Amino acid sequence: MNVRHFAAAALVAALAVMAIGATGASGRSSADTLTVWLQVDAQSGWPDVVAAATAQFKSQNPGWDVDVQYQTWGTHLGKFDATLAGGNAPDVIEMGNTEMTKYMAAGAFQDLSGASFPNQSTWLEGLAASGRYLGKTYGVPYYAGSRVVTYRTDLFRQAGIKRLPTSLAQYTAAARKLGARNKAKNFSPVYIAGTDWYVAMSFVADFGGTIAVQNSKGGWVGTLDRPKALAGLAAFKKFFNAASRASKVTDEARPQPYDVYSRGGAASMIGPGWFSCCVGTHKAATGQFVMPSHTKGQPMPGFLGGSDLAVPIGADRDKAAAWIRAFTDNASMTALRAKGNIPNTTSMLGSSVNERAARRSWFVPTAKHWVSVENGNILRTMLARILTNKMTIKQAAEVASDNIAFTLNQR
Amino acid sequence: MTGIAAETGAPRSRRRRPFAVRGLLRGSVPYLLVAPVLLVIGAVLGYPLYKLVTLSFQQYGLPELIQRKGTWIGLDNYESVLRDEIFWDTLVRTIVFTAACVGLTIGVGTLLALLLVQVSPWVRVLLTGGLVFVWSMPPVVAVQVWYWMTNFENGVLNYVLTELGIGDYSQHDWYATTFSKLAMVTLLIVWGALPFVALTLYAGLSQVPRELVEAASIDGAGAWRTFRDVTFPVLRPILLILTSLSIIWDFGVFAQPYLLIGASQVNADNYLMGVYVYIEGYGHSDFGRGAAISLLMLLIVALLSVFYVRRMVKVEEAT
Repeated sequence: MNVRHFAAAALVAALAVMAIGATGASGRSSADTLTVWLQVDAQSGWPDVVAAATAQFKSQNPGWDVDVQYQTWGTHLGKFDATLAGGNAPDVIEMGNTEMTKYMAAGAFQDLSGASFPNQSTWLEGLAASGRYLGKTYGVPYYAGSRVVTYRTDLFRQAGIKRLPTSLAQYTAAARKLGARNKAKNFSPVYIAGTDWYVAMSFVADFGGTIAVQNSKGGWVGTLDRPKALAGLAAFKKFFNAASRASKVTDEARPQPYDVYSRGGAASMIGPGWFSCCVGTHKAATGQFVMPSHTKGQPMPGFLGGSDLAVPIGADRDKAAAWIRAFTDNASMTALRAKGNIPNTTSMLGSSVNERAARRSWFVPTAKHWVSVENGNILRTMLARILTNKMTIKQAAEVASDNIAFTLNQR
Repeated sequence: MTGIAAETGAPRSRRRRPFAVRGLLRGSVPYLLVAPVLLVIGAVLGYPLYKLVTLSFQQYGLPELIQRKGTWIGLDNYESVLRDEIFWDTLVRTIVFTAACVGLTIGVGTLLALLLVQVSPWVRVLLTGGLVFVWSMPPVVAVQVWYWMTNFENGVLNYVLTELGIGDYSQHDWYATTFSKLAMVTLLIVWGALPFVALTLYAGLSQVPRELVEAASIDGAGAWRTFRDVTFPVLRPILLILTSLSIIWDFGVFAQPYLLIGASQVNADNYLMGVYVYIEGYGHSDFGRGAAISLLMLLIVALLSVFYVRRMVKVEEAT
């Protein structure tokens, strides 16, 4: 009886293990199929550009197929690690510019220095740098995105705001007016998720603060507890309390700010330029402006986010490069720019609101272990502690600084 | 048989050999029958376990993953884990969490099973149907539905509580503090585990002899007394198994806390063991350390279960 139960249990366990194995991450499928991992941003924002690149690749490489698999930012690295271990990594992968260093240092990508790509000589320097390691090129710039304010022109008008704010103080005053006119408890004059560290660190950068700096011996020192950074955090807290009714502990993906905005829950939101894509029925009454600095007339430095395209080891380098060439050519970049992104080449830069916002930008410390700071949610934890008054700004910043230094200085 | 052979003397030596061979054969039959199962277990569970153990003695990060070759570092991973304050905090938190989940699951499950016995057949069908629906819902889907119902912006829970006049719950954040985050996870897990416990116990209740219950009530025993002295002893072995299984499930639970709290909100303040091992192993790409933590987890669960099973067996022997 017992043995039978045990055997049955073992069988069930065995089946379960097999089932788990079977549903694991999929990588390269077959010899003549190019597997491409892109982020869902492309799926929701510019599937036509992806389709056009794939069609071009297929016409130039008869017999080849392209399998584009869409990933999410939160889980794609874990899946990528699993495929690296299993030897079935994708042929092309989209990497966030903050994620590149760790993988380049570990030898996860093939050297693309020999291959040539469209507009290579005019690549956006900030992005191109994130794809270079020890003098070799591992990442092809895909696109960048600055962060801007997307706002409801009708609500601004109703609240009597005649001119767009050009300083943080003006924006705060505008938020008060908007709040006075729209009394619903969950209405945010400026929707900011409590732990949106991209916004919070922009305030830090605006006041001259930094997250971490490298000392003369190459070690990292956390700097969020220094006076300038503390001033930035204090300004963020003040602005959040005046303008946002979002949860103090949620992030900028739950809910998506544009979902709040499109159901009428916000008069404005701070985020990537392409947020204007998904505003539902408010499309006609939506505009964008550059997030103002506390210094009048200046833009607030924004996080210059961006993506690179890399070719993992084991992939067919030439075919992968061919697809990347098709996906980053002039036609693709023109289409991406039309969607509110910053193209990968300075030759196409104009004076759109994103491009103006990109003039002042900040970037994360370029340390091998920076991704662990992001994955460990160190900055988000600090922001939640500050906004919920669980700790003072100084206490929370000191704890975060210590954690950041510890994480960045790992072996 | 051997006794007869011993008495007849002379033929004994001649007959012993074929007997021994046949005996050996007969003795090995059970092992031969079990062998395929053992082989499958060995291949499917044994090999990964062996790999996990060797991994836990290696420095195995991203570069090693790509080279597929780790560096042997002995007990360093274990030492660094056991010296880590976060590990001990997480362990204590997980034990309390597991105790709450298991206690609630078994307690409410028993009550539900007793209810199933009492209600009229069609209510029973409705209830059982509802329980089976809950059981068949994949955890990932359940998390999405729960998060949707309890969300901060426009959750239906806040709306209902406000409309019922219980208080102003508009924009109440159910995930504001560590305690409330974990309480939501506990509720979700108990909710998901109830059907299995309730239906199993309901099946067990059908084994309780009706005469005994009747006799007890004739003797003047109340409902509680009847449950304690008649029903409970019959259910005890089932409760034993259910509790052990629940401990194992709840101690290592990952999907619900990770998804409900959210990838961007899990941190050292709210880690449960399952989430901790994922962050340490995958999040930081330190697979050797992750392996060491999972083996420690295995050991702890084994200890907890053994302790509990022995206690229950002792109680059973004493009564």
